Amino acid sequence: MSLEDIRVVVDAGEASPYQADALSGNAPVLLRELAEHVRHLVAAAEPTAIDLNALPLTPADLDWLKATLGEGEISVTLHSDGASTLEETSCPGIWWVTHHNENGHVVSRFIEVAFVPELVKAHPEDVKTGLEHLESLIFDLS
Amino acid sequence: MQGPLIDTLARQGVTRRTFFKYCATLASLMALPPSAGRAMAEAMAAAPTASRRPSVIWLPFQECTGCTESITRSHSPSIEGLIFDAISLDYHETLMAAAGHQAEEALHHAMKENEGKYLLIIDGSVPLGLDGAYSCIAGRTNLEALKEAAKGAAAIVAMGSCAAFGGIPKAKPNPTGAVAVSDIIKDKPIINIPGCPPIPVVITGVLAHFLTFGSLPELDKLGRPKAFYGETIHDRCYRRPFYDQGKFAKSFDDEGARKGWCLFELGCKGPVTYNACATVKWNAGTSWPVESGHGCLGCSEPDFWDAGGFYRALSMPADPLKMAATAAAVGAAAGVAITFANRAKKSSAKAAHETVTLADLEK
Repeated sequence: MSLEDIRVVVDAGEASPYQADALSGNAPVLLRELAEHVRHLVAAAEPTAIDLNALPLTPADLDWLKATLGEGEISVTLHSDGASTLEETSCPGIWWVTHHNENGHVVSRFIEVAFVPELVKAHPEDVKTGLEHLESLIFDLS
Repeated sequence: MQGPLIDTLARQGVTRRTFFKYCATLASLMALPPSAGRAMAEAMAAAPTASRRPSVIWLPFQECTGCTESITRSHSPSIEGLIFDAISLDYHETLMAAAGHQAEEALHHAMKENEGKYLLIIDGSVPLGLDGAYSCIAGRTNLEALKEAAKGAAAIVAMGSCAAFGGIPKAKPNPTGAVAVSDIIKDKPIINIPGCPPIPVVITGVLAHFLTFGSLPELDKLGRPKAFYGETIHDRCYRRPFYDQGKFAKSFDDEGARKGWCLFELGCKGPVTYNACATVKWNAGTSWPVESGHGCLGCSEPDFWDAGGFYRALSMPADPLKMAATAAAVGAAAGVAITFANRAKKSSAKAAHETVTLADLEK
């Protein structure tokens, strides 16, 4: 038997093995959990996060969740060790956070409930370093 | 976030944001709550590095070098690699430039200098047959070398299934009389990092834990770090929802296989295998066995090679169809119960071990 004898069938109708019908039903309950976290954020100003990789969600579930939460006004891209995107959803205070590695693969996914995700803020030490740089720029002017 | 490690990293162009992102991901991989990422970043950044780099001695015994291949293929240059810079790898036959007497001298020097403090990593099993003659380094048996190196070690990491449980050398009929490190050394803390090979980030995770908390991570009853081996492949599998719905691939080329359904009936050992492949994945997060359409072999479990055939469903001794129907009807809760039931079945299958034939593999 040669290689040609093995019939290859291309399933034209299926671009991806994961169909829209592959929803597991695990995603909608997350909305209630998120609502609880947002109430907590408003009441106690304490941010929380949900590790999406820790939950049994199919790719279709994630798509559904992302589409349902929608897009907000702000989206931040962090360029360090691969891109990370922090996108506000249509519900302010809920952020969809995706970390990629250098090869563009998703390494972790979170939904953060915060006024501003921690990662966006500059660290005081980095600000100090930045100030030194700024001062050297000013020094170069003279 | 202030301290020696973050300063070292900063000099190498790693920003605090990058480091925090890494810690968030590592915490996710270690199945820690998202808040632990921040705590880890703080503690690890403050860990002393330059002043006392922990000495690590890596001894290879009866092994295939697959574990070293795995570790050195953690995507570089990466923060994992930089954390390796925070340790002093004093002896590793495959990676070190020295050879012969020089290498042995380096080993003994490191052992003497860091007595009672070094971390000993072992990969490969220890053969006891023919007085250990099956595997010797510099004219000494592995048994001798292990006993000598273990004496001054702070702790021992048994890297890979061979060192942890005997692995493939110990598979029946075990011609060399191979045993695990823990069968010989009884008076030192031993961390088992099984897998054939283990996932690179697991060793980094253990080192990170060591740097973060100054102690070794919590271990399960088989001596594995709970952070990575706390849940089964099945519990964290992205195909788990299909199991809960009773949707199974029946052969490797049927509709179910194409749609990415559960591989339980094709012999997947996910339900009884504790490892982190489902979350960490392989080759820089590209894929992992189940994602590429093949069931889990259970390589991080003791005697996986003798567990009754890679393509035989865990439920084979019973009625697989009946079991699938139960899972479909009762859902997740039943799934968990079946997992436990299967563990018992696996041990009975192990007891009634039969030789695996080619026909079994084609089932």
